[in-house]
Amino acid sequence: MQRQRAWWLAVGLSALAVAAFQLYQRGPFGQPWLPGCLFHNLTGLHCPGCGMTRAAHATLQGRLGEAFRYNPLGMILLPLACIGVGIEVIGWLRGKPLPFRLNVGAMGACLIVWLVVGFWLLRNIPCWPFTLLSPP
Amino acid sequence: MQWYYSKNGTQLGPVEESELRAKLASGAVSAADLVWREGMPDWSAAARVAELSATGAPLSAPPLGGVTQSPYSPPQSQPAPAYPQTRIYQDSDIPTNLWQSIVVTLMCCLPFGIVAIVYAAKVDELKARGDTAGAMSAAASSRTWCNVSVLIWVGIVVVSVLANILAAGSR
Repeated sequence: MQRQRAWWLAVGLSALAVAAFQLYQRGPFGQPWLPGCLFHNLTGLHCPGCGMTRAAHATLQGRLGEAFRYNPLGMILLPLACIGVGIEVIGWLRGKPLPFRLNVGAMGACLIVWLVVGFWLLRNIPCWPFTLLSPP
Repeated sequence: MQWYYSKNGTQLGPVEESELRAKLASGAVSAADLVWREGMPDWSAAARVAELSATGAPLSAPPLGGVTQSPYSPPQSQPAPAYPQTRIYQDSDIPTNLWQSIVVTLMCCLPFGIVAIVYAAKVDELKARGDTAGAMSAAASSRTWCNVSVLIWVGIVVVSVLANILAAGSR
């Protein structure tokens, strides 16, 4: 356990908690200074992460179905990624990686790349059923 | 700067440079032990790494000849040559940064996150092929792109906040 890293982690987790509480209370559009998605603002297209703020808000309020509607891939990948990052963070905190990792292997990693890129392309096709992939 | 070091053929780390210096000073890592950081072509004995010996604690490196010794003393052991890479690196020790890249892609809304995911995917592929050096460099690229995304995102948020404050002030 490394004290300085523990402090950084505490700061990061506190910031995350404050952000989650603000989001829960004020909703996804409650922070006028939040810039939103740069890619969406510039191109009008959806990026693979578009809808995640709204999805997170819906999740915090327990409306999981609605959350999936905003960003279906993100709702699957983000929890997985949080577990993966959590394992890495614990290893970083100890100064030594944990003996196990959330590992999807070379094939899994390639699959994720194609999933994300494919999702990015498909959710920008402006007709049904692809519109189901973009935030309503 | 993050350093990796090896003891008895197993890779340890990463540790900060200051930490590695402390280990060298205390003898926890000896001058003959192999060390590596990103950017070094291969593992090298700590005594031979200029940046570790130039400042800080003096290294108790075994003199490489030129020093008169008792003829009865055993021959000076040279710093060990680089281990075969397969022994040094545990493949599972190379972080792929895959999950960090995914978080960055979903949260920062920048296409750079995808670049980071692609590099992270390459890490596993190169590991499977046994190209450990390539895997390490792909992992480093992946981390770089994650950091670039996060920094740009933070920059955008700061600019956005300032713009809002200015707009509120002029109202």
